Amino acid sequence: MALRPISPQTALPDVAPDSSVRAYIDNALTTLIRELTSSPAESQPAITLRCRIVSANCIVNPINGALEAVQRNESYRTYSWPGNTAYESWKFSSGNNSCLVDDRSSVAGRKVDIKKATVNSVIDDLAYTIGVNRLALNVEAAGKGLVAGSLRLLRESRLILSAQSASEDNLIPRIQDTDEIDVSSARWVLVIEKEAVFHRLVRNNYHTRALAGKGILITGKGYPDICTRRFLHRTFEAETNRNSRRLPFYALVDGDPHGLTIMSTYKYGSLAHLHDNAGLSLPPLQWLGLKIADAADETQNSSGELSLSLTTRDRKKIVSMLRRSPIWASDGVEPEWCAELQRMLMLNVKVEIEKLYGDGGSLENWIDRKMFRQR
Amino acid sequence: MPSRQYLAWGTADNGRFNSLQRALKHPLLTKPAHPVDIFSVAVTDKQVLSASGAPSIKVHSTLDTEFPLVQSLDGAHTLGCHHIVTGAKGTRAISAGFAGEVKAWVCQDGHWSADQVVSANLTNVDAWAIALSEDGQYLAGVSQDGHVRVWDLNDNGTQIRDHETKGSFGTCIDLSPDGNFIASGHENGAVYIFKTEDGRMPFSLSGLVKPVRSVAFSPGGKILAAAGDSKVIVLYDTSSGLQIANLSGHSAWILSLSWSDSGEYLLSSSFDGKVKVWSIDTKSCVATHSETEKAVWSAKWLPKAHRSEGFATGGANRSLAFYREATGG
Repeated sequence: MALRPISPQTALPDVAPDSSVRAYIDNALTTLIRELTSSPAESQPAITLRCRIVSANCIVNPINGALEAVQRNESYRTYSWPGNTAYESWKFSSGNNSCLVDDRSSVAGRKVDIKKATVNSVIDDLAYTIGVNRLALNVEAAGKGLVAGSLRLLRESRLILSAQSASEDNLIPRIQDTDEIDVSSARWVLVIEKEAVFHRLVRNNYHTRALAGKGILITGKGYPDICTRRFLHRTFEAETNRNSRRLPFYALVDGDPHGLTIMSTYKYGSLAHLHDNAGLSLPPLQWLGLKIADAADETQNSSGELSLSLTTRDRKKIVSMLRRSPIWASDGVEPEWCAELQRMLMLNVKVEIEKLYGDGGSLENWIDRKMFRQR
Repeated sequence: MPSRQYLAWGTADNGRFNSLQRALKHPLLTKPAHPVDIFSVAVTDKQVLSASGAPSIKVHSTLDTEFPLVQSLDGAHTLGCHHIVTGAKGTRAISAGFAGEVKAWVCQDGHWSADQVVSANLTNVDAWAIALSEDGQYLAGVSQDGHVRVWDLNDNGTQIRDHETKGSFGTCIDLSPDGNFIASGHENGAVYIFKTEDGRMPFSLSGLVKPVRSVAFSPGGKILAAAGDSKVIVLYDTSSGLQIANLSGHSAWILSLSWSDSGEYLLSSSFDGKVKVWSIDTKSCVATHSETEKAVWSAKWLPKAHRSEGFATGGANRSLAFYREATGG
């Protein structure tokens, strides 16, 4: 007998009540043990998971600004033991391992190394089946995002993070529902694609010395993890609820297809987690740079070239992005992003942030100017 | 020689016209002709065709001083279109889209429609920048890997030439009006001239240092103009391959070049929104327009009407703009 998934919840709670996860695991284990103890001829230990919607028609939900699936054609995958092949058996056991984690330990880094992508995908499907965010399974790898600047994180009235001390960065923690994020002294939030750029800005105390006042620097080190996106989403929510003051969120990414995809992941969400995006999106995110026009402007003041040629892979990625509505289409939600991708193709160039800080404080001055213009 | 004045004639905006006065006061209109950048403008004796990052190609009439929108070729290129070219007669147009497809269009009595037969012959054409011969029979293209090829559109699109260059991205191409030469410009700054008769390179040109964005033969075919990221326009003598002149004055990447019918003037546009008119006689800039700070991707002379010359531009401000020579200038 295969386990049937619990009926899906329409809106996923941020962190599920432990009971639903535990109930699912108890139920799954009971069934599996029953199957394993019955006679070999009759036993069919199996787990069926509801698969996440991956390549469906997507829309940007006008209410929450998140990338979401239009159709919910459910599909299921059954992991049974012993499988027809060794690989299937392995997948079964990885599915099981994921189930066996209790809420105090974390499986991160244990079995996950070799076939990380597969395990990740199984864990995502498992969370989706139970109807919770994957954070609720305690399987999220240790966060990789970093933050520095004017913010405090309070848990049950205890200060658990204060990133205000100068020249220091902090790992972005897993945010819980009851946590309180205090950004009342910040004037801006800068979301940075690259770790090296983040470190440089922290080293130069940009979060305290910016022309626009005190602010917050955040990086997800490339494609952001869920902890980082969740943290930003909650910061934005806290701001919206608190008062009418608008805390601006800026994105500083490379002017290449990866940089734009990363910015899109922060703002609208990722295709891999369509069901989670509503709780992770960052609708007010504004594009600070880098654009081809920025490089063209800066070239006037410097001797070097600020742009690089696209590779064949870059060009292919851009074309496949342009095919992907609704975010990148010319009649989509971000016509300026679409236009910039097309300009990259036209000129066969991309621009990287590192190029802006050849000598002295040019990067900081540049960010000062851009923030001033976009305010 | 006095500097010449070109007045903004008006800006086309989905067929609506804005009077000269208003156009001068507000050269940028709020409602654009295309929702994203206009990348290419092609001119016939009666019309201006514009291609953009959106799927449709727009056709504006130049017979009417109000430049009304007369046709929209909707869904021409799903991912947008980067190049559109026409023959002098204006009966055929070829467009190249971001998805890599090349399409043919035919015009009858001022109305354009897809030329399915020719388009079907162009499905395997590998070209980024394209040029069409005056009579519309030959299509020349340069590919991302630097090949310069020619196809005979009156013979089922048969490929009749394939010239290999050093493999640098082919950014621009032109055919001389007399049909004797093809020129291509490349990302590494190289400029090549081929004789169409035997496909040979009569001489090697000293190219530019930075990417070339536009090459254009003069109406008589005696001069080739080339320009790009080095911000200088270089004029070559096509009989010797030697440089005749350098026209400097642009302070940003030059994106587009166009010769007036008489060959007296050269038009150039750049990434910072400047449009310049150069006198070939004096080798100097006689007019500069800066209606926008955004890239002007394409600038083309219009057919001469009533003894005054004019031109059309399109770019990142998403509007088509029309200019004419001020009387008495």
